[in-house]
Amino acid sequence: MVTGLDEALAAVEDGMTIGVGGAVTAGHPMALVRGLARRGVRDLTLVVPTGGIEVDLLIAAGCVRKVVGSYVGVEGLAAVGPVFRRAVQDGAVEVVDLDEAHCVVGLRAAGHKLPFMPWRGGVGTSFPQLNPTLVEFDDPVRGEPLLAIPALELDVALLYAEAADAFGNAQVVGTGHMDGLMGAAAKRVVVQVDRVVPNDVIRRHPERTWWWREAAVVHAPFGTHPYSNAAITSDEEHLEAFVKAGRAGGDALEEYLQRHVHGPADQADYLETVGIRRLVSLMI
Amino acid sequence: MRPASRNELFAILLARDLRPEDRSIMVGANMPMARAATVMANMTTHPDARILIGLGVHALGDGRRPPGVHPFLFDPRTLEADALMSQARIFDDADSPDVFFVGGLQVDQRGNLNLFGIPDGNGGWKMRGPGSVALATMSTNCRGYYIVMPSHDPRTFVERVSLISALGDQSERDRLGFPGGGLRLVVSPLGVFAPGADGNLEVVTLHEGVTPEALQEATGFPLPVSPDAPRTPPPTEAELLFLRERVDVHGTLAE
Repeated sequence: MVTGLDEALAAVEDGMTIGVGGAVTAGHPMALVRGLARRGVRDLTLVVPTGGIEVDLLIAAGCVRKVVGSYVGVEGLAAVGPVFRRAVQDGAVEVVDLDEAHCVVGLRAAGHKLPFMPWRGGVGTSFPQLNPTLVEFDDPVRGEPLLAIPALELDVALLYAEAADAFGNAQVVGTGHMDGLMGAAAKRVVVQVDRVVPNDVIRRHPERTWWWREAAVVHAPFGTHPYSNAAITSDEEHLEAFVKAGRAGGDALEEYLQRHVHGPADQADYLETVGIRRLVSLMI
Repeated sequence: MRPASRNELFAILLARDLRPEDRSIMVGANMPMARAATVMANMTTHPDARILIGLGVHALGDGRRPPGVHPFLFDPRTLEADALMSQARIFDDADSPDVFFVGGLQVDQRGNLNLFGIPDGNGGWKMRGPGSVALATMSTNCRGYYIVMPSHDPRTFVERVSLISALGDQSERDRLGFPGGGLRLVVSPLGVFAPGADGNLEVVTLHEGVTPEALQEATGFPLPVSPDAPRTPPPTEAELLFLRERVDVHGTLAE
């Protein structure tokens, strides 16, 4: 079903566990994230396998209680997400540390309706000490020490795809990161797309369809900005400006939020704040 | 010619050390020097290897256009590839990659690495890091892995890491039956290091202009080094030219 951004996000309630798709600097559904930040929901648990500024933005907007994942940062621009770092060090936000592979098998366990999946990576490290939901056990078949990775069950998955039709058939150009697993782990799926296409366009390349069940489809062109998708690179200047504001906090961060999150009435309005010259320069 | 930047030196040292049996080589986020090393090796010494750079799997041995070294790992230009690197599937084949590269906040005498952060001792964080990404899984399974440390001082080279993201300690790894071959090298701005027979880090080579005293002063644990310790062979003109003109064409490593 094609729906407005705010209608789709009405599924997100205070205290829910929300998966946000994409990876590092690619394919995050940023239009949905900004919409969520505007709505001001509270006490969310974010599941972000390899997260970026979507985590910082939602923390800055006061939406987050807990972050579950293997990474929050902006690669070479910020070794650690600036707002995330401060909130965690202040004790305002709790981190549940996972290895990137734990995210994969935890989402799979949820999709399989299993309580956990076994994994070796993390044995002998500080993971079980930092994250007590990871349980050390002896493999009953071969007797090796292993970790039980609990199911990562999601209330809502917020995902990005390049195109979708009105039936929720979504197609990515590229890898789709862990997004398909996230969809299967979630009770409800919202897919942000650059293009809403007729069903016959989907049917020309069915092998590209990575999600084909019910989903709320939200049309948001350039919606991964400032992050990349298959057609645009990441906006390094914008990310740098965000990192600067995030590190400064206070008024600088508030100003960023006003300008890019709370101020714009919709995605088109947001793109005006970025500017057409910048957007065109990102197209590969 | 402009002398090698720190990241150019790292790229060349990593490319030199790859082993003939390395068939699939993968690079994670925020390691552009390792991406360059991998592309360089694939175009020269390792024409048969598959390299996993960003979103794609590439084999450049027969002269295909290299994917370039961009500031960010998951650049859409890396989608022009032999196959796509899917995060959801990469961990399904524990025999691949053979090689991985990791960075960290702290490395210790036993080769353990910390990317979680520094705990405050009361259940909170004195300094929170980015998280451990795939360090634990990759270091457990890979045939070999490299640690790249952008700084070398007593806070980053410590006797014992505050938390372990990747278990380097070979005796612990043996006890737990890890399938992977473990830590190969640690490269830092001061030198190249590797675990010795007793599992403690030892000096392999010292970089140009680094004295044994300066190295010991910058290291938070005893690092035996003789005055005539071997020097890191500096990058050759040919290596630097190839790196700059064929691999790092956008100058990502130049600083």
